[in-house]
Amino acid sequence: MTTLGRILMVEDDPRDVELTLTALEDYNLANEVVVTRDGQEALDYLYCRGQFATRPQDNPAVMLLDLKLPKVDGMEVLQKVRSDERLKMIPVVVLTSSHEEKDMMRSYKLGVNAYVVKPVDFHEFVNAVKELGVFWAVINQPPPGSVRR
Amino acid sequence: MVRWNPELRKGLWWLLRYGLAVVSVAIALGMALPLQAYGFRDVELPLFALAIVLTAWHAGIGPSVLAVALSVACFDFFFTEPYYSFTVSIRDLANFLLFVVWGVIAASFVVVRRRVEEDLRQARDALEVEAEQRRQREDEIRRLNRELAHRATELEASNKELESFAYSVSHDLRAPLRHLVGYSELLQKHASSLDDKSRRYIQMILESAKRMGNLIDDLLAFSRIGRAEPTKTRVSLEQLVNEVVAEIQQDTKGRDIAWKISPLPICYGDRSMLKLVVINLISNAVKFTRMRQQAEIEIGCVNGNDDEPEVFVRDNGAGFDMQYVNKLFGVFQRLHLAEEFEGTGIGLATVQRIIHRHGGKVRGEGVVDRGAIFYFSLPKPRDATQRTASAP
Repeated sequence: MTTLGRILMVEDDPRDVELTLTALEDYNLANEVVVTRDGQEALDYLYCRGQFATRPQDNPAVMLLDLKLPKVDGMEVLQKVRSDERLKMIPVVVLTSSHEEKDMMRSYKLGVNAYVVKPVDFHEFVNAVKELGVFWAVINQPPPGSVRR
Repeated sequence: MVRWNPELRKGLWWLLRYGLAVVSVAIALGMALPLQAYGFRDVELPLFALAIVLTAWHAGIGPSVLAVALSVACFDFFFTEPYYSFTVSIRDLANFLLFVVWGVIAASFVVVRRRVEEDLRQARDALEVEAEQRRQREDEIRRLNRELAHRATELEASNKELESFAYSVSHDLRAPLRHLVGYSELLQKHASSLDDKSRRYIQMILESAKRMGNLIDDLLAFSRIGRAEPTKTRVSLEQLVNEVVAEIQQDTKGRDIAWKISPLPICYGDRSMLKLVVINLISNAVKFTRMRQQAEIEIGCVNGNDDEPEVFVRDNGAGFDMQYVNKLFGVFQRLHLAEEFEGTGIGLATVQRIIHRHGGKVRGEGVVDRGAIFYFSLPKPRDATQRTASAP
């Protein structure tokens, strides 16, 4: 593992955050995760505004996006990212509890790269998150302009 | 208009009609006498004829007969020799009779014409009444339509509500469950300091949470079937059944199952939904024959009536008591203990819902410890839409 991409996680539930980070710890990926707690904060990170004003100007290697978020919801974040010339190349993985076909259709129409339903079973959840992390942060070649360590 | 007593009105009307006969003949006479005095000859006949026709036209047959009689009398009295007497000379008799015949014919023509007119008027009135009734019926239809539209909006609203309810169940109910499972698993990882009892408790928490997860998933899938509109095509049930059996055989290696699949009809319905029906029925048959040395599962078709062949799935498994047959298709209704046979009890409810959405029928028969048989039938395409519309 020579280079690791940064993972931007957008998740409002602290327990989900903890469980996801626990799952990623096994692969030493947890340190690469930036956690934002709502859509507004995620956009602040992407545009280097507010508390993220001083961060380097690179894009994350992947964004793990929950759909149901306070303030600005996941769909809106996705729409903003896809309509911005500088951000539209960021791979976006929707990680949600929603099985609804409606959500799936809308996400794919907005150009999401993957849609993952959080499994209730913890082992499955851990595996799903690990595989996501490994695939997007390690195996996948992120688009040029992404942050690397 | 003044509301008169109908008796009085009728009498007055009669008086007017006969009065018209008298008056018109009198006017004709009044005009003919001076004209004759001034030396105009033979004007009296056309004038009397005019009076008769006028009376016949406006007053009908009775007054016209009166007019003819009066005209004849006047003609005889004033205009035929000998004057001022009702006797008729032989010379004028032919002339006289001709006038009478002419008067009668003219009057009868006019009266027939009138009668035709009267008939036409009655027909028109009848038409008007019918048109009025039709208008009332149309109003009624419009009212019912409005009511229906109103109901449809209400139904749509409640459907939307149900949808958002299912959505929040799907999203919000699952999250805490995932945490419950997640933290219990983490606790189990650090379980070296726990005794056996505590470990068992954690195991129970995990199993219950997983079970609840399954219940939520099943309930959501079930509600989705209710909301999705079936897209109907021609489906070969035989192909569908073979497909499903092939899939299920992957999971039943090591079991001795005698499959018997008879020729099945082609039906009309939503393929993925019908596949769900077949999967549920066949996997039930597989599940409930688990304790048999050799399981027998038969899928076939009986022609209950020629129009709607009934497809059945028969097994020689655990069966069920027919006294609980009304609970068979209920949501989360189970007729066996969870230790005997796993499952949430949504399978047959799903089957029934899908078949009903197609306008079909489903039923089950069973004998405890001898096996069960489930039948379903789907309507033919031509009356499928009707039946679906009236299905609950």
